[in-house]
Amino acid sequence: MEKLTLAARDVSIEFPGVKALANVNFEISTGEIRAVVGANGAGKSTLMKILAGANPSYTGEVLLNGKVIDLRSPMAAKKHGIQIVYQEVDTALIPTLSVAENVLLNHMIMEQKSPVLNWRRLRREAQRILARLHIDVNVRRLVQNLTLAQKQMVLIAKAIASRCNFLILDEPTAPLSDTETTELFGLVKHLHETENIAIIFISHRIHEVISICEKYTVMRNGETVDTTAVTESTTTKEIVEKMLGRAFDELFSKEKVEIGERVFEVSHLSDAEGKVSDVSFYVRKGEIVGIAGLVGAGKSELCKTIFGAHAKAGGEMTLHGKKLRINNPTQALQNRIALVPEERRKEGVLVNENVSLNLSAACLGDFCTASFINRSKVDGNARKYVEELGIITPSIRQYVRNLSGGNQQKVAVGKWLAADCELYIFDEPTKGVDVGAKHDIFRLINNITKQGNSVLYATCENAELLSIADRIYVLYDGKIMAELTASETDEDEIMNYAVGGGTPQVAAI
Amino acid sequence: MQASLNPNPLRSGRTKSAYRFLLDWAAIITLALCFVVFYAVKGDKFMSVNNMINILRAMSITTVFGIAATISMAPDGFDMSACTLASCSAYVFVSMYLWYGLPLWLCTIVTVFSTLIMYQLTMFLILVCKIPDMLATCALMFVHQGLGQWYIGGGAVSTGMRLPGGAAPARTSLSDAFSAIGRWPLIVIIMAACVLIAFFFLEFTKHGRFIYAMGGNRQAAKLSGINVKAYRYLAGMITAVFIAIGGILVSSRGSSAQVMCCDNYLMQSLAAVFVGRSVGGAEKPNALGTLVGSMLVSTLENGLTIMAVSYYVLPAVKGAVLALALIAAYAGKKEQ
Repeated sequence: MEKLTLAARDVSIEFPGVKALANVNFEISTGEIRAVVGANGAGKSTLMKILAGANPSYTGEVLLNGKVIDLRSPMAAKKHGIQIVYQEVDTALIPTLSVAENVLLNHMIMEQKSPVLNWRRLRREAQRILARLHIDVNVRRLVQNLTLAQKQMVLIAKAIASRCNFLILDEPTAPLSDTETTELFGLVKHLHETENIAIIFISHRIHEVISICEKYTVMRNGETVDTTAVTESTTTKEIVEKMLGRAFDELFSKEKVEIGERVFEVSHLSDAEGKVSDVSFYVRKGEIVGIAGLVGAGKSELCKTIFGAHAKAGGEMTLHGKKLRINNPTQALQNRIALVPEERRKEGVLVNENVSLNLSAACLGDFCTASFINRSKVDGNARKYVEELGIITPSIRQYVRNLSGGNQQKVAVGKWLAADCELYIFDEPTKGVDVGAKHDIFRLINNITKQGNSVLYATCENAELLSIADRIYVLYDGKIMAELTASETDEDEIMNYAVGGGTPQVAAI
Repeated sequence: MQASLNPNPLRSGRTKSAYRFLLDWAAIITLALCFVVFYAVKGDKFMSVNNMINILRAMSITTVFGIAATISMAPDGFDMSACTLASCSAYVFVSMYLWYGLPLWLCTIVTVFSTLIMYQLTMFLILVCKIPDMLATCALMFVHQGLGQWYIGGGAVSTGMRLPGGAAPARTSLSDAFSAIGRWPLIVIIMAACVLIAFFFLEFTKHGRFIYAMGGNRQAAKLSGINVKAYRYLAGMITAVFIAIGGILVSSRGSSAQVMCCDNYLMQSLAAVFVGRSVGGAEKPNALGTLVGSMLVSTLENGLTIMAVSYYVLPAVKGAVLALALIAAYAGKKEQ
């Protein structure tokens, strides 16, 4: 088999305001399984998208066997045999068509001349490709009825059905269970042994990298730092250290708050989709409890399950020792639990309403006189929180869609402050927020605890957790791996647990 | 507390597949039940050859409009104005025949072409102005009604009526051939042909599959290299042809083109498509499903009429059947 080599030379790309990749060099040949690792925002996905033709504005050059190729469209990349399987499989498959059609869709579009379909041949051909990959799925089934793992395999089969010498798997295991992951790895190994193919594997789960890859490339801050072979002696710790590679900065110094008795307890909580399993923890009065974990570890699902916005499968929650029945957000609010969700534009604020209405949306009933909204009360409340939170807006009548990301986030938080809750759950509150606004939000969270309320703070930014949280629970694959005291731990230790190092901690309650 | 750590604590496999089976074949099961019940109650009065022909004839027009709706909904489109446009097609067809004395075949061609031309406006609003299908065709309903009635001068086109300008019509009576289109067996043959053509196009040509691909996941279809706009346009043009055929059937059956003669078929035809969506687990608008849906509505109407249920109660029954079909289609879906 002819050996093919794909190389990126001094590739850079800029997005408005950020240099996402700076002079990256990367080389891979067929017959290799290579991992690309790095923290969130290190540029892994950006580089892969360039290779897949989905980031056409890059500078520098990409060479295939020493010849410069132009990867300015997904079509161009496919023509050169570079195929990518994104984590969000649903964006690339057609749910209402059969497996056979999905596998052979590219073939139908590009090569099939006759307008009439030969279903028998189509199914046989798809069956042949699936059999070659040892994938056991009925080709007649509609893709929408498959499991996530099966969809992913169909997507890989679709990539193999066309010319494929370089297969990029972008975090394929993030949504999969352990058995599904094992199946997928079987397929990857099989491909590696039988096809003339290079596989680029992106994962946050370092132990997977060690188990399946021959070499790994570390990326940090938009640069490739190092490419090393995986050997017997490679450890998770070693890779994590390379990924972090720096001390965290921009410390937020928070005011000490006296911590009281246990207020809120969760025991053996699981959700219906298997994203949260058997989670137990507690929160004390005036305490900020951090939930650490990588993207896809189940942090958002945990927050939403507590808030009743995500179906619960089992477990109990108590507030002041009283058992809670929360099946929907209304009940959560009645029990004075608030959630500031991650997707703030979608879930946290009413972007097409003004600041004033948003700030009273969570408890509009309190601003009403016999079901009629009392405008002056609503506006008074809005002025109070605009000033208190430092929301930068020309007026309280401004539409929230016109505010900056940081200010929208403040509105989302302010909405719940007005509702006067006891437990505040924050899901990635600093996502997409600049440094200045970040500190405002930290101060605000600090103030919540000063008033004797408690906070649950979920984020994948470990440095933030160290500066704001009192205690930290680390989630991995929906399970709590460790309970850490913020003042006694560091980023390395959190990262080590977050990528699946160590064994799950036995529930303490 | 149960200690189930199974990530997918769903119903057990067998009950789940039985449940799916019931949902997938709900429309056919209901149809069979209708036949059994009506036969049991009314015996041969229901189960006679003549009555079966009645049902087939009654469902023909709904089915043809249903096929038009199927094709426009396959690429995730929608057409609220299909039947108001069909009324215009009917005006054109009868006026060409009576007023201008054109031969029947030429009337048909003129009708199809004028409908295609009118449909360019629909496509312009949807594809060029990028108005969502539902809103664009809502607006067009009024445009079609106004334009159509302006053309016929506000009154019906039928034998013995003068042209809007007062001139005498070229023909004063309808020929047998004109009337035969709307009678058994031709009307049923036309319906069957429409269903078969749509079925073949959607299931057995790659163009049909691309239209479905676009309906299933527009973004993925686009990134796979399917020209989604061209296929939406193609679907629109085929829809227009079926709309014209529907208009012709209505005018032949009514021996005239009454004002707004086709408008009432819209909801029935959409009901047929929705009922047919889930037939056999297809999960998309499909020609055979639409046929089943339309047959279900007609059989119910026919059987209940024979059982002397008042005609004014029938819409409630039809509505209930549609609701049941929609429950079957959406019951299996996860809450988003």
